[in-house]
This record gives sequence, structure tokens and C-alpha cells, in this order.
Amino acid sequence: MGRFFDTDRFKEILDTLSRNRGRTLLTGFGVFWGIFMLILLVGGGKGVKQLVAGSLNSFSSNAAMVWTDRTSKPYKGLGKGRWWNMSMGDIDRLAALVPELDVISPQSFGWDRPVATYEERTSSINIRGQRADYARIEAPTIRYGRFISEMDVAQARKVCVIGKQVWQNLFPGGNDPTGKRIRIGASYYTVIGVDYNDHSVVNINGRGDEAVVIPITTVQRLYNKGDAVDVIAVTAREGVVMSDILPKIRAAVASGHQVDPTDEKAVPILNTEMFFAMIDSLFKGVNILIWLIGIGTLLAGVIGVSNIMMVTVRERTSEIGIRRAIGATPRMILSQIMTESLVMTLVAGAAGLVLAVVILDGLELANTTDGILKAHFQVGFWTAVGAVLLLSVLGVAAGLAPAARAMKIKPVDAMRDE
Amino acid sequence: MLIELRDVNKTYQGAQPLHVLKGIDLDIDRGEFVSIMGASGSGKSTLLNILGILDGYDSGEYRIDGTLIKDLSERQAAEYRNRMIGFIFQSYNLIGFKTAVENVELPLFYQGVPRRERHRRAMEYLDRMGLTDWAGHYPNEMSGGQKQRVAIARALVTKPDIILADEPTGALDSKTSVEIMELLRELNRKDRLTIIVVTHESGVANVTDKIVHIKDGVIGAIEENSRHDASPFGETTLMK
Repeated sequence: MGRFFDTDRFKEILDTLSRNRGRTLLTGFGVFWGIFMLILLVGGGKGVKQLVAGSLNSFSSNAAMVWTDRTSKPYKGLGKGRWWNMSMGDIDRLAALVPELDVISPQSFGWDRPVATYEERTSSINIRGQRADYARIEAPTIRYGRFISEMDVAQARKVCVIGKQVWQNLFPGGNDPTGKRIRIGASYYTVIGVDYNDHSVVNINGRGDEAVVIPITTVQRLYNKGDAVDVIAVTAREGVVMSDILPKIRAAVASGHQVDPTDEKAVPILNTEMFFAMIDSLFKGVNILIWLIGIGTLLAGVIGVSNIMMVTVRERTSEIGIRRAIGATPRMILSQIMTESLVMTLVAGAAGLVLAVVILDGLELANTTDGILKAHFQVGFWTAVGAVLLLSVLGVAAGLAPAARAMKIKPVDAMRDE
Repeated sequence: MLIELRDVNKTYQGAQPLHVLKGIDLDIDRGEFVSIMGASGSGKSTLLNILGILDGYDSGEYRIDGTLIKDLSERQAAEYRNRMIGFIFQSYNLIGFKTAVENVELPLFYQGVPRRERHRRAMEYLDRMGLTDWAGHYPNEMSGGQKQRVAIARALVTKPDIILADEPTGALDSKTSVEIMELLRELNRKDRLTIIVVTHESGVANVTDKIVHIKDGVIGAIEENSRHDASPFGETTLMK
């Protein structure tokens, strides 16, 4: 009796559990559900975070986007409510006046909603004029070919990098489209790359996966924009906190356009550093919530096991009394009830774990497109091991109170009952 | 003497202490077939509990085969019960989710007897009870008499010194009651088993060789009943 892994003793436990199947299932269900929910929530939370962070990761975490709006303050004799534009000159001004900046990359958009055509197929697109250095701010996920180069920009070449959706619409066979010429409006552009990043972090001018990136010089020429710039994306050098230098950036841009350097409406700046900090704290909060709910559900399950075992011990007074009358010591009864609780908790928990893992696997499958996994939903091996350890501890804990009660049953109770 | 009781006293503590056994002296020899008779409240159940090491007593001495049974720990009591005493209960007290043979095996399980040996011995006793064909059946598939015979097999399987039967026919009809009592008598005769039957029915007591009358916590008379004519079944009671 001393050995824990006594096959005879285990057979006795399993017999008792399996021959009272209804009771066992009912008791185990709480734990099954608890561990199932915990693992599902942890894995799901991780996956959703990665889905969001996946696009975040490609984005520089210390960047800012500067664009323009109507002025809200009068300045140097000019009234408020005036429209104005940034220009390529602002790039040099920013470089000179704000040495803390690292990359300064202008963008120009085609604000209409054009359509791209290849052979008989069409796709709605949005046109983004960028420079090669934009890749240092938001890294593209190049599937085929390459991103635009400095040479493309310098020579205002008619080349383009197409988004995932555009590629799927125009080249449904899934072939490498580089070198193919697609038509946008009246002009033909040579496809030089496919970008799988859907750019969902900062969504300017339409969906990221419908973007067609063209050298900024080409866009400016095509839309007759001169050297007008719509958005300037910047990153700060290492160790520089972006929010500290925002006023300097605003002042530098404003100084070239007769705009009040403190006019926050006229020179809106989106600071990704703050954005990232917000998302980060949001997910920390979500994580705490997930563990709270998960552990809570699991605890409720375990308390349920303990509770039902309390009731069954009372119901089993006669059985336990008989066992005592024919020679079981209180210790044997104690260990029987504890082991029953442990086995039940472990089996139910393992079942919950397996089901949760299967469902998480399905989620991973659903989030895989063209062999590229967007997010890992599956929980880690050690999380699973931790869950099993937690279950064992909880199983023993759940058995404590019922076992203590069972130990108090005297053999005479067997006769008194019935 | 197998069983020696010397001035055994037992009081149930409570709001009003109840002096149940008031100095019991009793000797039972090996191989005797004894019944303890008394009305309810006479103290016979308490006496049975003490004899069965299910309950303790306050003063006096109780020896089985010379071993003093007093102030035992739960563990020791369980061990002595398992080794020395076989119980037969009024309501059979079989475990419902175990088959007949598994019920008979259970005391051996607590003795640590290996599975195969356990099964062999349990089957042997079931066979003696004429229940070989019923070994795989659950208690609720059997008649009262069959259940009681399974319980008897369970009591015998550890080869105990004493068989304690608490109203063994209490839940049986008169025909089966006679069969069960005959079975106990046969076990007593053939195997020289010491059997103590606690009952309030004179018909049951009449089968035994010695009738111990207990009343108000003291032993009244000890009646030798070797001729078994004190009160046959069905003559004195309305029920049987």
C-alpha cells in the first residue's frame, strides 16, 4: 500500500471511477472546461496580439508621420483657415533643423481611386509615391522581386511594387509577376515586386494590400503635383524620444510655409511611439484579464470537483463504511479519495488541454495564407507542462476536504445507513 | 477461550449520558455457535460493535485469543478487524458497483493479497456458497438470499477467527432465512467456525447452540440450546 504506483490500487481507483461514470463525468467537466478555456484564452490572446504586432513589427517603433491641414491660427498677416502644402524643400529643412532625425522620407499620393489592368483582369488600387528609404520606416514583406530603389526615384521610372490583393486580382495563377507590365490610367508600369505587408498600422489613403507603390517622382509628375509632398515620414535617431522633438519638427516644417510653428491643427503629427506604447499597455491589460478569467474558470472547476466529491463522499458513506469494516485503514480511504480526485482532475484536464490545442491548431491553419503563418496561436510546450503541474496541485487540493470527511466515516456508519 | 469479556462498561456521552453496557462478562469458546438476543435498546448492538472492534469501551477487558483489544488506534483496529473478524450484515452491505466476486475479493485487497490469488480464493468461497455462476453479477441482479450468501463468502474469505452476524436474516423471507441459518450452522459444524449471531428473533436464535439473553445492558440468562427446541422458526413470531 505504501507505493504510489501500485497497479492494484490504481485498478481499484479506475474501477471506482469508471463504474460510476455519470458521477465522474459530471465531476470532471468543471476542470475540463477550466483548462480548456484557460489554454484557449492564452493561445488566442497570444495569436491576436501577434496578428496586430505582426504588422507592428514591420513598422519602426520610433517614427512619426507629418501631414498638413488648414491653418487654425493667423500668422504674419495671413488669416486662419488657409490651405497649404509641404514640398520637397521641407526634407532638407528638417534634416538641417532637426538633427535628431534619422530617416526623412516624403510621400505623395494619387488621391483618386484608379484601377490597374493586366490582360483582361482589373483591380482597384491606391497609388503611393514613395522613396526607397521608406522601407527603413515601414519594412515591406517582399514576396517577389524588390522594393523601389533610389535609381527608380532619381529617374522617375515607371515601375511599381504591388500589394498582395492587387497581385491576387491581376495574377490569379499565383505566378511571379515581376517584369509584367500593368496599366494604370493611360500609362504602363513594370511590376518590380510584390509586397505582402498589408500596412495596417498606419492606414493612409486606402487599404494597404491594395497599394501600388510607385517612385514619388513619378507620382508627382503624373498628377502634376510639382514637388508637393502629402506626408513626411520620419524616424528619430537612437536614444531620442520622438515626443520630445515633435515641436521642433512642427516648427521646422511650418517655417517654410508662413504657418504658425505652434499650430498643431495645421501640422498634424502622428507619433507611432505613443501608439506603440498604447497598444503595448492594452495587450498587457488583455493578458492580465485572460489569466484572471482563465484561472478563475479553472478554480471554479476545481472547487466544483471538490464540492461534488464532498457530496459523493456523503453518498458513499455506506461504501466507505463497508470498506472500513472489512479492513481498510483511514489512511487507505484517504489515499483512495485523494487519488480519485487527482486522477479525475488530470484526465479531465488533459482532455481539455488536448481539445484546446486542437482548436488552436485549427486557428493557426485558418490564419495561414499561401504558406505564410500570420500568427502563432499555439501555446508553448512549457505552458502545457505548467498547466499539467497546476492541475496536479489543484487535483490534490480538491481532494483534501472530501478525503478528510471520508476519513471520519466510521465502519458502524455502514450499518446505520440503508 | 477465544473471546473473553470481563466487566465491560460502555457509556454514550451526551447531554444525558447513557450507560448502555453495565458490566458484561461473557466467554465464548472456539467453535461455538452463539446467538445474542435482546430487544432494541437492550445494548446488543453496542455489544456487537465492541465484539467487532467497531467501537471502543470505557472500562473492563476484552480479549480475542488472549490479545487485549483496548484503546486501539484506527489503523490497528482496521488490521485486527481484517484479520480476526468477518462481518455479515442485515442489509448485506455489498458494494453496488462491484460484482459478486469483486466484493468477496475486497477484504483480501486490503490485506495486500495479489490479484490472482485474491480471485482464486474468492471464487473458492463463492463456489462453496453455490454462486459460481453468479460471480460476475452485480448485487442488484441477485436475490436477497444470494446477496447474503455473497456477504457470507466475503466474511469467510479471510479465514477469520470470529464470524459476527448482525440480524443476518432481517431482510429475508422466512424460507430464505431458514436456508441462511442452516448454512451458518453447517459452517459451524464442518469448519468449526466460531459464529456469533445478534438477533431479536427467537426463531433465528433457536438454530444456535447457545443463546445469550441481554436486557438493559446486563446479561440475563445464558441458555444452552443443544436440542434446538426453544423456539422453532415460525412458531413465536407473527412474521416468520
